[in-house]
Formats: sequence, C-alpha cells, structure tokens
Amino acid sequence: MKKDSDTLPEERHLISRKIDAFFIEIYEIFKFVRRFFGEAFSSPFEWKEFINQCYQIGYRSLPLISMTGFIVGIVFTKQSRPSLSTFGASSWLPSLITIAVIRALAPLVTALIAAGKVGSNIGAELGSMKVTEQIDAMEVSATNPFKFLVVTRVLATTFMIPVLTLYSGLVAMMGSFVNIHQNEQTSFAAFIKNAFSTISFLDINSSLVKAICFGFTIGAASCYQGYHAENGTQGVGKAANTAVVVSMFLIFIEEMIIVQFVNAIR
Amino acid sequence: MKPSKNNRPVIVGIFIMLGIAILIITVLTLGGQKKTFVKTFTVNAIFNDISGLLVGGNVWFSGVKVGTIKKISFYGDSQVQVTMNIEKEAQSHIHKDSKAKIGSDGLIGNKIVIIYGGTAGAAHVEKDDFLAVENGLSTDDMLATLQENNKNILEITKDFKSITKKIDSGEGALATLLNDASISKKISVSADNLQATLANLQRVSEGSKAVLSNLQSFSGRLNQEGTSINKLATDTVMYQSVKATLAQLNDASNSLTNFTANLKTLSDKLNRSDNSVGVLLNDPKSAESVKATLINLESGSKKLDEDLEALQHNFLFRKYFKKKEKGQLDEKKP
Repeated sequence: MKKDSDTLPEERHLISRKIDAFFIEIYEIFKFVRRFFGEAFSSPFEWKEFINQCYQIGYRSLPLISMTGFIVGIVFTKQSRPSLSTFGASSWLPSLITIAVIRALAPLVTALIAAGKVGSNIGAELGSMKVTEQIDAMEVSATNPFKFLVVTRVLATTFMIPVLTLYSGLVAMMGSFVNIHQNEQTSFAAFIKNAFSTISFLDINSSLVKAICFGFTIGAASCYQGYHAENGTQGVGKAANTAVVVSMFLIFIEEMIIVQFVNAIR
Repeated sequence: MKPSKNNRPVIVGIFIMLGIAILIITVLTLGGQKKTFVKTFTVNAIFNDISGLLVGGNVWFSGVKVGTIKKISFYGDSQVQVTMNIEKEAQSHIHKDSKAKIGSDGLIGNKIVIIYGGTAGAAHVEKDDFLAVENGLSTDDMLATLQENNKNILEITKDFKSITKKIDSGEGALATLLNDASISKKISVSADNLQATLANLQRVSEGSKAVLSNLQSFSGRLNQEGTSINKLATDTVMYQSVKATLAQLNDASNSLTNFTANLKTLSDKLNRSDNSVGVLLNDPKSAESVKATLINLESGSKKLDEDLEALQHNFLFRKYFKKKEKGQLDEKKP
C-alpha cells in the first residue's frame, strides 16, 4: 500500500516538500489510529493472537522489568538518603520513595524498558513482514492484517504495560525496603505505614492512566513504523529504531502533559 | 521447560490476575490507611485563618488520626468553614465542648486540624455540629516573634560591643577590675581569706554537728520513757510541783530583791555621816574618840578587875565566895 505523500505531484506541494510531508505523516498517523479504533471494536476479534501478544509483551518482559524496578528502588533510595539525612529526615525515605515510584518511576521506567524491548521487536517484526510482502499476502488470503497484526499488538501493549507497571512498582518498593531495612532497620509494617501515608488514590489512578497511555503509544508508534516500513532490510532496521525513538519521545511528552493535568486537579 | 502455545492463555491469565491482585492490595492498603471504607460523620469548624489547610488533610484527636478534611469553603465575610469527616468510632471520645485548631503534623509537615479538650460530662459531638475554634500559633506568628527576638539580640550585641569596647579602653570600674594587677592580688588575698573563713566555718559546722548530735542524744533521752528528764517533761504532777516551786522561787527571789534593796539602803545610810552608825563608821574623829574610850575602858576594866579581886578577899564577901565555890564542887560530884 502506497502512502498518499508518494502520489502527490511535485507541483502540488503546499509549503515545501518536507513540511508538506511532515503534515501528511501526521495525517497518516491519525488515519492509522482511527483505523485501529475502528478495527478494535469490530468483529471478529483475534483473541488467540491477542493472548499470544500479551504473553510475549507482558509475561516475557516480566524478568527484565522486575530486575530494572528492583535496581531503581535500591538506587533511588541510596541516592535520596544523603539529602534527607542532612535534615535528619531519613525516616521519610519510605514516603519519598513511594511518591517517586508510584507517581513517576514505575510507569516511566516500565514504559521506557518496554519501548526498548517491545517497541523494537514490533517494529522489526512488522517491518520485515511488510518488506517481505507477508502483509500483502495476508490481505490476499482474506485475513485482515491490520486486525491480526496491529490491533492485537496495540491492545496487548495497552493492557500489559499497566500490569507491568504494577509489578515494577511493587518490586521497586521491595528494593527500597531492602535498602531501608538494611540501613535504618525499619520494619516492614512501619515501611508500609510510612509509604502509604503520603500517596492518594489520585496518584495510583494517574499512574495507571499514564501506563495505559504509554502502552498505547508504544504499540501504536511501533506498529505504525513497522506497518509502513519500506526499502528492504534497511527499512526494517530503520523501522525498529524509529519505533523505539518515537515511542520514548512520545512517552516523555505524555508524561509531562499528564503530570500537568493531574497537578491541576490534585 | 518452555511452556507450549496452548498454555500461554493460562500464563497470561495468571500474570494479569497477579497484577490485578497487586492493584487491589494497594487500593485496600491505601484505603485502610486513608480510612476510606470507614463509617464517618461530618463536623464543622469556622476558622479565621486555615494557614493553607487542604481538602484531604488529616484530623487528629489526642494525636490519633480520626478523620479527614472533606470541604473548605468561605463563611461570612472572611472566615472559612472547614467540614471534617470524623470516624464513627471516635464519636464517643469527642465532646460537644471540644475545640479545634489548625496544627501541623511535623515541623515542616502538612497542615492538619487538631481536636482537643472537652469535658467528660458534656454530650458527645453529633453530625453537623460546630466545634469551638482556637486560633493557634501560625508559622507567621512564630516568625514575627522570632524577628522581634532578632531585634532584641541585635540591640543586646550592640550594647555588649559598647561595653567590651569601654572595658578594652580602660573605662569604668569593671575595666579597672580587669586591667589593674593590684586588684587581682587583693582579690587573691580576699580569696585566701575567704578560703580560711570557709575552713573555720567548716570547723564550726563540724562543732555544730557535734552539738546537734548531743542535742539529738538529749532529745532521745528526753523521749525515752522512764528517764528523769522524760519524767520532768511528761509528768504533769511533777510539772505542777516544779511550777509551784518555781513560783515560790520567784517569790523568794522577789523577797531577796527587796532584802538586797533594803541592804543597799542600809549600806547607803552606813556610808553617810548623817546618822550615828554612819558617823561611827565614817568619821575618823569619832573613831579616834571611840578608840580612846575603848582604851580607857580597857584600863578601867583592868582596874575594876583588880578591885573586884581585892573585894573577893575582903572579909565581908569572903564567906559568900567560899559558899559558891563549895556549891559548884557539889554539883560536879555524881
């Protein structure tokens, strides 16, 4: 399937070729997302492929996410201790770490790790299928490739990233507890009591909303890049790379917007 | 063992369920801590200044969290009505005359509402009641006081600087005291004297200690039943007797006083020359005259003795004397 930007004649550029191509890209992305929602809420639904993608994206990412979350918890605790100890407030470490983990670190770290692992995987997989014309072959064999390949993956990332965020948050808190218990001999009950004293339901809800947005962004950006890959194997590499870069960039932008929104309603 | 493709839905289901379980546990823990699922009732308080209190802030009673701030709204011209969700469990501890004030859960902590006081006899607080308010000390008030203290400290340090400058330049008695070496010697001598005095005082105190010990021993004996001193102190009969004796002694003393007064008068009279005894005692001429009289009397008596001796041997009286001598001899015989 050729893009509309490729079919535009040279003399029809509105501003310049590059600027026009940028806006056409935006339009293409909009169309891609609109098609996703159209396909996602129409039957038939590819349950088997969706479960398979959930397994690949969620379960297979769990060790990496857990390891990263645990290290983040320990490192952030160790880095925060000197600052709080200056004020004699090292007892506030659990609440500080919980705020940081629940509000920002858990969804952000999970999304960034998933963007690197899952985004590149989806971009490369769909890109190679695109350049080897497997997607075209699926269309010929009366299988909706968008529904089978894109909808399942985007939905899988949208559902799995929040779940991974919960795991990541839990493991990061455990890492933090291990470090705090070693240094301050804080009991688990006191840690939990202190940790949950400063967070609210809004923090948890906003964290889950963020994780859903990040998951959707990773899935959509990666699928878009892979689905529109071209120029052979070189295009596959470019699609994988761009999928990761765009996903991470969009994650940070979304993080900034959601934080502003949450702070406005806090 | 790598899971087969058929097992993947099960694994994904378990994975998702565990994630949901983490979420539920988090929500329940947070809800338990925030008392979200606890039955509450609302209580109001109207403050002049809530010092940045936020909705969702904690409400403490006797240092225990009993609720949260539900609503903050303006009341009247410039006052603020704070509506609090209070746990039903705490209702039986909060009385209608309890007071509310704005506090902080730490030195730099969040603002909270503190409910305190209340008399045991008063009725318990009820739904939508208004609690009396005490305007607590805000951070601004504390800073204002601190600023006042700073000013005072500044003035004190200025004064102190002026004093030290004067001392350093040798002005005033204190400067002389510090700078004059002779004064320090005098002080040293005074200190030695003081030390000696203290040593004496110590000896005196040791003596006093001994006296006290004796006194204690005496008082012990005084209290010991059966001793004479105890009897003296405790026996009422003896007391009456001693009292009578003392009264008599007093009378005797009075009589003695009168007697000595009379004796004094007598001696005064004897010292004077306006009476015969006084003249006899004090006039040298009279003394000489008396002396001469006595000499004459002695001479006269000697002669009289001789005359009487001669008379005994006279024939007229000889018989009488012999009879008298014979009678005395008879009396001596058994």
